Amino acid sequence: MKHLTLADEIVVLMLHDDTGEIRPAYAGVANIAIAGGILMELALLGRIDTDLTSLYIVDPNPVGDKLLDQALQQIATEPQKRASAWWLERLGLHNGDLSGRVLGRLVEAGILRAEDQRFLWVFSRRAYPQNSGRAEREAKARLMSVIFDDALPDPRDTLLFSLADSSGILNEMLTPKEMRKAAKRIAEVVALEEIGRSVRAIVSKRRMALAAAASGRSWVGPGRDW
Amino acid sequence: MEVRNEVADGVALCRIVGKIDALTGPDLQAAAGSAINGGHPRIIFDMREVTYISSAGLRVIVLTAKHAKAANGGLAVFGLQPAISEVFEIAGLRTVIPIVSSETEARSKIGA
Repeated sequence: MKHLTLADEIVVLMLHDDTGEIRPAYAGVANIAIAGGILMELALLGRIDTDLTSLYIVDPNPVGDKLLDQALQQIATEPQKRASAWWLERLGLHNGDLSGRVLGRLVEAGILRAEDQRFLWVFSRRAYPQNSGRAEREAKARLMSVIFDDALPDPRDTLLFSLADSSGILNEMLTPKEMRKAAKRIAEVVALEEIGRSVRAIVSKRRMALAAAASGRSWVGPGRDW
Repeated sequence: MEVRNEVADGVALCRIVGKIDALTGPDLQAAAGSAINGGHPRIIFDMREVTYISSAGLRVIVLTAKHAKAANGGLAVFGLQPAISEVFEIAGLRTVIPIVSSETEARSKIGA
């Protein structure tokens, strides 16, 4: 199987097994998580580094992956030094259909297949069922081993874990009781990586904004009727 | 960054001077790796003269702790400057590796 980037893996984990679409629970945050995966992959490849205040280029040479190299070029040509949070929003929210691009490359890699489906006889949608499900199983096994193994995880697993936690994937994988039992371990691992902490902060902010927008709509509705 | 390596009483001591980041981290990782592979998995990082640490630098610290532990040893660090201490605090490294103020304490933490 082709080596998957963190951005690829997080999309595989966000897909609904039955519908082949990104689960609605991740809809508002998927692109931030993918942007996090892109930045984390560039960090693991030694192209960028971060600290508490900024994200900066270490090596501008392309890595040979279109998605990663486009992000690397954007970072390299930005005149000002920016924080990782700024880049997460830039790459995740102002960069076109990021999740669509990752789904497309997963189809090209043979991990997913694209199926055009019709529902209610009129509407059409594109679903992305997994071909073997192996990529998802492997990623989930790594996440579980981070939780239940006391050893320090390696950096790639730490980064995937922090993406999975911030986007809500761990909540789907574990029962509430298991989440409570693992809370200390999850907090320890997520704290280790700066980009992971930034993803978590932005996702949390977006979830609150989305919830506020949803509640605002439901409040305005009845008001008009009165 | 400069790393001065010493071995005393079975403990590998890396005295680090300068910045630990994506450019210099591999040198520190190589120094710690050669200590572990050379039969000295109990390692101390003297960080009194470390002036900056990035995320890549923190990864080297965590990886060294992981590899040292896997070889039945351990990593302890001492002498963090306030700015470095803040980075370690935010990353929660105090729960992962012993962080102390002196070489003597570091030795006792790794059983030397």
